[in-house]
Amino acid sequence: MKRREFIVGCSAAIAALAGSRITGYSFSPDGSPGNILIYVFLRGGCDGLNLVAPVNDPNYIANRTADVRVTDSGDTEGLSLGNGLAGLDFRLHKKTSALKELYDSKALAIIHAAGLTNGTRSHFDAMDLIERGSLQNKTLNEGWLTRFLESLPSTQEKNNIASVAIGTVMPTSFLGSNSTLAISNLNDYKLRGDKRYASILQSLYTGNSLLDEAAQNALTSVAEINNRLPKDVTNTPMPYVPENNVKYPENPLARSLQTLAQLIKMETGLRVASVDYGGWDTHEHQQGAFANLAEGLSTALGAFYNDISDHQKRVTLLVMSEFGRRLKSNKSNGTDHGHGNVMLVLGGDVMGGKMYGNWPGLENEQLDNHVDLAVTTDYRHVLSEILLKRMANPKLGYIFPGYKDYKPLNFLSGNALQIDYNHAK
Amino acid sequence: MYANVDMAANLSPAASMKSPRNLFASIPSVVASLKGYDLQPPSPTVIALNRLTYGATPELSEQVTKRGVKDYLEEQLHPKGEDERVVRKLSEATLPIKYNDKDGNPLVDEVRSLRLIDAPLSELWKLNNKDANLPYAEKIRALEEVRVASWFRAVYSPWQLREVMAEFWHNHFNVNASDQKISTVFPVYDRDVIRKNCFGNFRAFLEDVSKSAAMLYYLDNFTSKASPANENYARELFELHTLGSDFYFNNLYNRWRDVPGATAGKPVGYIDEDVYEAARAFTGWTVADGASSGKDKLPDTGEFYYYDGWHDNYQKRILGTEIEPNQPALSDGHLALDLVAHHPATAKHLCKKLCIRFLSDQPPPSVVEGAVKVWIQNQKSPDQIGQTLRYIINTKEFATTWGQKVKRPFHLMVSMLRATQAEITPNQGLTGQLSQMGYLHYNWQTPTGHPDVMDYWLSSNSMIARWNVATSLLSVSPNNRIAAYDFARLVPPGMDTPQDLSRFWIDRVLQKRKTPDFEQAMIDFLRGDGKADQPIPPDKLNNRLSGFIALLTMTPDFQLI
Repeated sequence: MKRREFIVGCSAAIAALAGSRITGYSFSPDGSPGNILIYVFLRGGCDGLNLVAPVNDPNYIANRTADVRVTDSGDTEGLSLGNGLAGLDFRLHKKTSALKELYDSKALAIIHAAGLTNGTRSHFDAMDLIERGSLQNKTLNEGWLTRFLESLPSTQEKNNIASVAIGTVMPTSFLGSNSTLAISNLNDYKLRGDKRYASILQSLYTGNSLLDEAAQNALTSVAEINNRLPKDVTNTPMPYVPENNVKYPENPLARSLQTLAQLIKMETGLRVASVDYGGWDTHEHQQGAFANLAEGLSTALGAFYNDISDHQKRVTLLVMSEFGRRLKSNKSNGTDHGHGNVMLVLGGDVMGGKMYGNWPGLENEQLDNHVDLAVTTDYRHVLSEILLKRMANPKLGYIFPGYKDYKPLNFLSGNALQIDYNHAK
Repeated sequence: MYANVDMAANLSPAASMKSPRNLFASIPSVVASLKGYDLQPPSPTVIALNRLTYGATPELSEQVTKRGVKDYLEEQLHPKGEDERVVRKLSEATLPIKYNDKDGNPLVDEVRSLRLIDAPLSELWKLNNKDANLPYAEKIRALEEVRVASWFRAVYSPWQLREVMAEFWHNHFNVNASDQKISTVFPVYDRDVIRKNCFGNFRAFLEDVSKSAAMLYYLDNFTSKASPANENYARELFELHTLGSDFYFNNLYNRWRDVPGATAGKPVGYIDEDVYEAARAFTGWTVADGASSGKDKLPDTGEFYYYDGWHDNYQKRILGTEIEPNQPALSDGHLALDLVAHHPATAKHLCKKLCIRFLSDQPPPSVVEGAVKVWIQNQKSPDQIGQTLRYIINTKEFATTWGQKVKRPFHLMVSMLRATQAEITPNQGLTGQLSQMGYLHYNWQTPTGHPDVMDYWLSSNSMIARWNVATSLLSVSPNNRIAAYDFARLVPPGMDTPQDLSRFWIDRVLQKRKTPDFEQAMIDFLRGDGKADQPIPPDKLNNRLSGFIALLTMTPDFQLI
C-alpha cells in the first residue's frame, strides 16, 4: 500500500532558531492562522430522535414509549430550541443543558434529518462508507480526511503536526494517512527506557513498509511533541491546566477533548483532529444509558468550548453518527438501527441558534422504508460547507469520490470557495 | 457562559517559520555502523511456529524442525486437558481486590486466590444474587480471572494452537465482558462455548454461542419479545458471525425476490427483511435470570431459557425459506441457525478470516478457495474447523509468506515472555498495557472484534506503546510485579562478554541470522562504555541484559510474523 510521504518539521533545529517558544501555525493565504476542523464521531448510532425531537408530533408520540422520547412536560421534558424546523417545537434531551446554552449563544447549529444516503443499516458498513467519503465503495484505501489533507494547497501542507486522531488508534477517516498521529495523552507520549533506543530504532526502521513508516512517524512525532510541551524548571512537562477555570467532566469524550485543547494551544499547526465517543447502540433499556451519553456529550463540549475561548474563532467542531435509530421503539425499551439523524456544528463562524435542513415529517409514507426518519440532507453537504468556507479546500470531487451536487445550508458565515469536482487531486 | 470569540488568536509572527523536512539528520546515530537494515524472513519452521503458537522458542523450533510442522500440527489439533504447569500456576495465582462500602469506608482490601475459572454456572450465578447486591469489583473478578488464565495458558501451555484459536474465536464472537452481567457468566463462555468448540463444528458452535448468556446479554436478545423484536443479535448474526457484510444487499431492502437465487430458495446474500425475520425467530430466547413477565417469573439460574410467551409464532421467511406458523419451541431459531451456518457466503467469510489470521492481510485467493471447499465438505463433521485449519496450514503458502502482518499486542507480549522463560504473576495492569496498543482484552466494545489488519495496529500511539511495553515487561526491577527473570541462567556457563552474549541473545530472541553490521551495533549497545570482550560483572548481568533484550524485541524482526 502506498502511503503519503511523511512531512514533518525538525524540532531540534527549530528549537535552536526559535528559542524557547516554538510555533507552527499554518497560515491561510491572507496570513491569518489556519482554521481547525474537529470531527467528533458518535459510534454506535446515536438516537437523534431522542436527542433533538419534535416533541408534539403525533407520530413521534404514537411510535415511541415515553422512555425513549423527549416530551414537552413531565419527567422527560426537553429543553426548548428556538428557530426549529417546519415551525415545530423541537427540544433537546433534558440532560443537555450545555448544548442548549451553546445554541442560545449562537455558537451551535443543529442540522436534522441528515446522513448517509446509502440505506445500509449496518454500523460497520455505514461507518466505512461515511469515513471513506463514498456512497458505495467501502474498499477505498483512504479516508476522507486523508484525501482532505493530501489535497490541501502545498503552502498549508508542510506543517508540523497537521492531523491527529485523539485516542490510541486511528479511525477509518484517516485511513492511509501516514502523517496523522494517534495521541491519547500528550504528557505520556514518549519513549521509555534506555536513552539510546530512539536513535537505534531510527536506524532499524528505514524501509518503506507500513511498519517502517509507522515507526518513523512515531519516533519523529515523539521528539516533536516533547519539544513543544511546556516544561518546568527541571525540564519536566507540566500538567495541563485548562483556562477559564474549566473543569472537564469524567467521561471519555471529555478526556479526549481536553487532550485536544492542550494540543491546540501548543500551536503545532493542527488542521484537523478526530475524536470518537462510543456506546450509542442502545437496542435495549435505552433511557438511562442514553441520558448518560447525552449528558456526557453536552458537558464535554461545553467544557472544551470554554477552555479554548481564545481559539474559538479558528475552530469548527462537527458531531455526527453513522445513522439514527428507528422511529418505533422495540419491546426491549430500546431502538433498532435507523437512518436519518441529527448533526451538530459548533464554532466561531457558525450561525448558531438555528436548526438547518428540511424536516421530512414522520407520517408513515414520509419515513424511509416506512420505518425511519428520511435523509433529506446528504452528510457530505455539511462537511463540504466546512471545507469550502473554513478549511480552504474546495476539492470536493477528490475528497468525496462521485460527489457532484453540493447544496449549501449556510450554517456558516463567510464566502465559499469555487467548487472543484475534479476527481484528481 | 461562553467567552467572546473575537478575542481569538493573537499570534506570534515567528509562527511563519518553515520547518526542514527531515528530523533524522538532526539526531546523531549511536549505531553509525548500521547502514541499511537487512530484513529477511526466518526459517519456514520458525515462520510456522510464530503463527501456530505465541512465540517460537529455540527449544520448540529445534523439536519441530526434527519432527516436521505437519506432525506437530496433528498433535496440536488434538489437545489434551490442562497442562500441569498451568494448573499449578492457576492454583498459586492471586489477584488483589479492593472496594468500599456504601458510605465510602474500606470494606474489602485483600489479595485473593482465583476461584471462578473452573466454577460451574451455579456458583458463578451467585455473583448475580439480587439480595447480595455485590459490588462491581466482585462481579468483574470473573472476567479478571479469565484474563489471568489466558496469560498462563498462552505463555506456558503446550497446547498453543488451542490458545491461538480461542483468541481467534473470542474475537470473532466478540462480547464485551467488562459489562458486569457478562463478566459473571464469562468463565462459562470462555470454557463451554469458545474453548469447547474451537476445532469443532461451526453449526454446533453457533448454537452454543446463540444460547450463551454472554451473547444473549451482549446483543440484547435476552429482552427480545414480540413485537417489535430486538434486531441486534439477528443483524450481527448475519453481518458478523456468518454471511458477512459482503453479502448484504441493502439496496434490495424489501425486494427479496431480486436477490439472485432467492426464488429457488438459495439467495446468494441477505437483506434487511432477513434480519427482521430472523429477529422474530429468536424472540423468547433469553436467560433464566428471574425476570418477570406478567404473572410468570423466569427461573433464576443463569441457564439458557426459552420463554414461549415472548415468542413471535407466526410464519416467517428467512433467506428464501418459508417457515410455517406455530412451529414447536425453538424450532424457528434452530432453522435460522441452519440456514446461516450452512450458507456458502458463511464458508467464504470464515475461511477468508482464518487465512487473514494465519497467512497475511491479503491472503492468496487460491488458499481461501481451497479452504472453502474443505469447510463445505465437512459441514456436518464434528471437526469441521480443525479440518479447515489443517488444509490452510498445510498449504505451501502458509510458511512462505512473511512480514505482511505484525503480532497482535497480546501475541507480542506473550512472545517476549516465552523467549525469556519468564515466571509470570499476571495482574490487572496487563490489561492497561494491552489497551495502549489498541488491544482490548475481552472488552472490545463493538461486535466486530478487533480488526485483523496491520494498519489498525500501527498508529503512532500504538507503535510507541509496542516499544514501551518491552521496557516495562522485561524490566528486572522489583517494581515489575508481572514477570520475574533470570536471564543469566539461560546463558551457557562462562559466557559473559558483550560480544558473546549479544550473539547468543540475537539467536535466541530473533532466531535468524543477522548481518555483521547489525551484530556489531547490538554489541556496541550492550557494551556501552566498556569493551566488547570485557566481561560484564555477574551482579550487573541481569540488569544489562534486560535493556538489551528489550531492544531486540523492538526490532522489525520480532514485531513481524
